[in-house]
Amino acid sequence: MNKGKVWKYGDNVNTDVIFPGKYTYTPMEPEEMASHALEDLDPDFASRIKPGDIIVAGRNFGCGSSREQAASCLKYAGVQAVVARSFARIFFRNAINQGLPVVISEQAPGKLTQGDEAGIDLDNNEIITQKERIRFDPLPDFIKEILDAGGLIPYTKQKIANGKREKSN
Amino acid sequence: MTHTVIEKIIQNHTQQDVFPGKIIWMTLDVRTARDFGGPNVVKNFQREYGDQPVEANKKTFFTFDLSVPACSLKYADNQQICREFAGKKGIKVYDVDEGIGSHVLIEQGHAVSGSTVVGTDSHLNILGAVGSFGQGMGDVDITFAFKTGKTWFEVPETVKVVLKGEIENSVSAKDLTLFILRHLRTRKAALKAVEFYGEPAKNLSLAGRITLCSMVTEMAGIIGFVPEVNDGFIKEVRGLSGITYEPLLADKDASYAEEIEINVSGLTPQVAAPFQPTNVKDVSELQDVSIDSGFIGSCTNGRTEDLRAAASVLKGRKVKQGVMLKIVPATRKVYSEILEQGILKDLFESGVVLSNPGCGGCAEGHIGLTGEGETQISTGNRNFAGKQGKGQNYLASPEVVAASCILGRIASPEDL
Repeated sequence: MNKGKVWKYGDNVNTDVIFPGKYTYTPMEPEEMASHALEDLDPDFASRIKPGDIIVAGRNFGCGSSREQAASCLKYAGVQAVVARSFARIFFRNAINQGLPVVISEQAPGKLTQGDEAGIDLDNNEIITQKERIRFDPLPDFIKEILDAGGLIPYTKQKIANGKREKSN
Repeated sequence: MTHTVIEKIIQNHTQQDVFPGKIIWMTLDVRTARDFGGPNVVKNFQREYGDQPVEANKKTFFTFDLSVPACSLKYADNQQICREFAGKKGIKVYDVDEGIGSHVLIEQGHAVSGSTVVGTDSHLNILGAVGSFGQGMGDVDITFAFKTGKTWFEVPETVKVVLKGEIENSVSAKDLTLFILRHLRTRKAALKAVEFYGEPAKNLSLAGRITLCSMVTEMAGIIGFVPEVNDGFIKEVRGLSGITYEPLLADKDASYAEEIEINVSGLTPQVAAPFQPTNVKDVSELQDVSIDSGFIGSCTNGRTEDLRAAASVLKGRKVKQGVMLKIVPATRKVYSEILEQGILKDLFESGVVLSNPGCGGCAEGHIGLTGEGETQISTGNRNFAGKQGKGQNYLASPEVVAASCILGRIASPEDL
């Protein structure tokens, strides 16, 4: 399991500060999207994040617009997972559809601080820090399957391919 | 099994048993993409599915409403990408002249009671105003919906909000909405559907229902419904779309996550201060705030009724020298109504800037941006930092925005 550094934020982190609206009009390559991640919330984030780092935030993470880039820019930046007390629904779906794990935990934001090292074990539903293991409620199996496949479209393509294979067997 | 409104709609669109927490596959009656998100839907579709057809091209639409007509080369390119894709697939485009997509779906009878609709607009849950399960989604979800006509959804719990007391005629649907937001914040309705009950909800017009349902997004909710209706509302829906509204009620013993009573007696005009829509105060607490500009429009407050309310304040008066009041009707239909009813003339003569229909000031790139240090009062639904430029945004009703622009400070019509 990958360990990464914790980037800690508060409640109501909205999509405008995750990926500014002015960049949504031009199709961008993944690296360029990653370079604008959290630009209006934490200007240091994009240049200092390392693959495997984890975002930990409070309630209603990702509220605001439907922009897919709010989820994909974090994925492209190398974020391992976003842990929050709760997620706005559109962001939550976008993250899953992009294959970016989203973990709901009431406890973790109170226990983790900026710069902590932590890892996420999605199979055993635990956030593992140097001090302790923080349990979280498992994601539904269906959502885990989408995440494992790498997102919604790969998931359904796999399903269709498996279906065909079963039929031909 | 008994069902709330959302559970009923979902149950009619899936073979699986519907209960809160269950993830189901749901069939979609209509799917849309805008000039925001739309080009990415096209790009995704072509990458993943090549030249394959969309699932039901007559139930698939593009609605251009953000930058209309395109005010930057990027938007012009994006709209053209959608038009060319639409042409190949036989999809209708409601183009830059038509107005806000969610409103066009209601006017054209595409979003009807009991239906399921998805699109790249985070306020598509506005369609709850006509009993349709509208849902905003990202471009991967919408690409998938274009291809398959289906989406996955976790059935949400429902909260019952009962409005108690009577409200004065001078209090608008926006004041009621902001007051409810003040109570529920982003907690009580988070990730849940909401059903609004009580006389103040039942008496809401179509425009009032749109205002209330649009801001369920800011309550962090999934969608809002106002199951009890009045004759005026039914008439309005029929007049606009030609469709007879089918009643959509929860089962009598449906189970709710919570029942919340909110007493709205004595409600006065409400204003949301920067930078969260939930940061709501009485207008009287903010009367020292001077403003540089105003905006009336958006999917929350851009209907004829909203512009009529603004005109009733502005008629015979002038916007204060140095203050810029920008007005954007929601749709072409609204534009024609304000033209025919003389509302447009009253607005024009008071010194406002009037634009063609669309989303207006809610998106960067079209009318209504604010510069650094500028304070704006808007009828929109969000006041996040950076959302409408670098300035500060207050959210209020059309009447309060109009009065504020006349006095150059945050004010209610009573102050005039």
